[in-house]
Amino acid sequence: MASKVALKTKGKASGKKASPEEKSMAQNLKEWSTWAVKKAKVITHYGFIPLVIIIGMNSEPKPHLSQLLSPV
Amino acid sequence: MAGVVPPGTTTQSEAPTPTKEERVDYMNLPCPIPYEEIHREAFMSLKPELFEGMRFDFTKGLNPKFALSHSVYMGPTTIPSQSSETIKIPTAQYEFGANFLDPKLMLVGRLLTDGRLNARVKCDLTDNLSLKANAQLTNEPHMSHGIVYFDYKGKDYRTQFQMGTGALFGANYIQSVTPHLSLGGEVFWAGQHRKSGVGYAARYNTDKMVATGQVASTGMVALSYVQKVSEKVSLASDLMYNYMSREVSTSIGYDYILRQCRLRGKIDSNGCTSAFLEERLSMGLNFILSAEIDHSKKDYKFGFGLTVGE
Repeated sequence: MASKVALKTKGKASGKKASPEEKSMAQNLKEWSTWAVKKAKVITHYGFIPLVIIIGMNSEPKPHLSQLLSPV
Repeated sequence: MAGVVPPGTTTQSEAPTPTKEERVDYMNLPCPIPYEEIHREAFMSLKPELFEGMRFDFTKGLNPKFALSHSVYMGPTTIPSQSSETIKIPTAQYEFGANFLDPKLMLVGRLLTDGRLNARVKCDLTDNLSLKANAQLTNEPHMSHGIVYFDYKGKDYRTQFQMGTGALFGANYIQSVTPHLSLGGEVFWAGQHRKSGVGYAARYNTDKMVATGQVASTGMVALSYVQKVSEKVSLASDLMYNYMSREVSTSIGYDYILRQCRLRGKIDSNGCTSAFLEERLSMGLNFILSAEIDHSKKDYKFGFGLTVGE
């Protein structure tokens, strides 16, 4: 997934400050935010429709579970 | 039985001024239409969802706020090809959707059989500030994208800020200048495609007509005009001109909103004519016919469908 521009500017502005063995703060932050965005995408992809269904089934008047599955 | 009128078909009417002789109260102008909906009437009249093949939509409401929808589509899908002929592959797909509509929160999700998810969220954080998000997520890497919009509605202006994947940033602002005229502008920056642009739009509307114009630095000029001839009939026309690539196209169409049906037809300067009919057979049962004939590309598309549920 394309990384946001915030990550790009951080990468361009700071770059590697420390020696090649140590990872700089900006590098770590960039890796973590890429990891977080990837996980968020997977969570949204699998979880959005179940989330809508859970919110809907809990709204008043509460529909019955059988209404969810039956076509009538 | 009350006639079914699709929403958004009437032109925007401003707060009624008692007599024409009264001076315009410039401190009390109505709130304008959101910037992205400035061409709304022309778009709804001239661009119905034409399709080819068979479509069946079933919407089941479990309670007034929550509904599930099942949608089946079978038909040829055009794939983009380099040569001038159109290549169509027959496809069949099933789409499952869940909608939750609350005055403050709207969640719409649609999931296709190939794993693509279309999600839309709209949340009113306060009376004037609202947050919207759109996302299309796929299983293929790098093909997903999403945009978040922050809208602020003032007394007679609206402003919006958008952020999206691919380093997309944009902002727009629209202001009511007189009870009939609103002017707006937008800027956007797309980091991934290295494009940025500025645009301006204007919208003039009365009870009987809507005229809009939009110019953007990407080279696009779009003008549209919709005349509401009567309660049941609207005529619309639009013109799109790209001054960078010197392409122009115009279309003229009609929109008949009758008691039992809605018929939209248009003819284009690219040699394309189309028509779209939605007929209400009974309460909650709609029959849809779609036809599009492209004489220049010799592409003929006909579709039929049935929509069950509100």
